[in-house]
Amino acid sequence: MAPKSKTQKETPEEVVASEADVAMTEPPTSHQPAVEDEDASMKDGDPFDDEEGQNAEDEDEDEEEEQQRVKLLPGSTPTAASFEFLEEGHTLGNALRYIIMKNPDVEFCAYAIPHPSEAKMNIRIQTYEGTTAVQALEKGLKDLQDLSDVVTEKFKASREEFAARMSA
Amino acid sequence: MDGYEPMQTMEEDDHGPVIKISQADSVRVKFELSNADISFANSLRRVMLAEIPTIAIDLVEIEENSTVLADEFIAHRLGLIPLNAEGVEHLLYSRDCDCDEYCEHCSVKLTLHAKCTTEENMKVFARDLIPSGDRINQVLGSPVISDPDGQGSLLMKLRQGQEIKLECIAKKGIAKEHSKWAPSAAIGFEYDPHNKLHHLDMWYEKDVKSEWPPSEYAHLEEPPREDEPFNYDAVPSHFYFNVETAGNLPPDVIIAEGINVLQKKLAGLIHELSEEGKDGDYDGPRSPEFNGGGDGWGQDQGYTTPGYGAGGNQSAWGGQGGTTPYGQTPYGGSGGWGQ
Ligand SMILES: [Zn+2]
Repeated sequence: MAPKSKTQKETPEEVVASEADVAMTEPPTSHQPAVEDEDASMKDGDPFDDEEGQNAEDEDEDEEEEQQRVKLLPGSTPTAASFEFLEEGHTLGNALRYIIMKNPDVEFCAYAIPHPSEAKMNIRIQTYEGTTAVQALEKGLKDLQDLSDVVTEKFKASREEFAARMSA
Repeated sequence: MDGYEPMQTMEEDDHGPVIKISQADSVRVKFELSNADISFANSLRRVMLAEIPTIAIDLVEIEENSTVLADEFIAHRLGLIPLNAEGVEHLLYSRDCDCDEYCEHCSVKLTLHAKCTTEENMKVFARDLIPSGDRINQVLGSPVISDPDGQGSLLMKLRQGQEIKLECIAKKGIAKEHSKWAPSAAIGFEYDPHNKLHHLDMWYEKDVKSEWPPSEYAHLEEPPREDEPFNYDAVPSHFYFNVETAGNLPPDVIIAEGINVLQKKLAGLIHELSEEGKDGDYDGPRSPEFNGGGDGWGQDQGYTTPGYGAGGNQSAWGGQGGTTPYGQTPYGGSGGWGQ
């Protein structure tokens, strides 16, 4: 993984610190050794030096839990954007591409998996004026959810009908 | 529900997808999905094949092995034994559990102890794997036994004096990680039985008809007339599924759970998109206007692959026209996709 830039770190750092303050009564749930006591004085100060390193480790753990799975690729404009999905593939890509293309406000949509050994899937969306690529993506995800709901219902109904037919 | 109007060749119900079941029992469900697009049908197939959580043996501690089979061989064989996955949704993934390696919240323990004392060879079956310790319910993790003799899969054979004693830890997982977690033995997926769309080559040696016997679904679709011209606009619209279970989950559940996994995937992404709309995440997918232009649209490092271009409008997807063989497209930019 490429090292993260400094700007990204600042917000989560504060969160980690305040959480640690609140949860002092309970032992930490992570396997990380409890280091708070060691340099508790540093808590109030600015997060510098080794504190930085320690928090970075904590953050990495949080990162794994709540990893950002959709990212906008550079070069995008409101109506023409490329998104990168982590840990997704053809399963989502092709169905999403289809459903987004069904949206009449969408001019173009395509997906690609740039490299087979990287678990990344890219979607390109270009929309007409009046809607944005992000909105089109959100609508696509919701439409696909609705479609899945319908298929679930239809399957349940035909399964029950089949069972009734068999027992009759 | 707006957005997916049926395809051109729809003769039936114009209100979304249709499912017809032709066979359903404890081992398999055969159904036809129509009025749907191939991309969705294939997503359903893929998700049922690779992303439904089940339980399988993942760790084996061998205490005694005087059989002719190597420890690793036996461990691999044990991993492939189908285990009952009923209630696996209440089991945690070991990686999400608070325990160090495994515990009753994220695993099921199975023990095997057999020694051959007779002159006749002894067969060790999956039924000899005995679940022990606390379990979420009375069936989760038990070996699947579906043969009439109630033995389950044959694990190994022992000669007189040989002994096997081991402990297995079964964990939750999905088949994308290892196929031992696949709930389905096979998923049949077929469309266009007469090959009207020419998606298949149908290579033959002497005679097409005899070398490619008709599909079991051939009678459900109109065969092409002798003089029928090729329809360039036709798209597949009827999909024949045959979902067969390995015994760990009932076939109905595999289908329901497959769609469920797809739903969760979508819900997670929708949630993430709406979350990012609220807080000021830097590289979240938002319109550049809200973000003061250039920066924030992905950091400068990490995006220097030639495919996407190093920055801004020079990328292959949105840059100025004229540099690609496709030149200027009616869409304004240079169509890196050639569309
Ligand atoms: Zn555990």
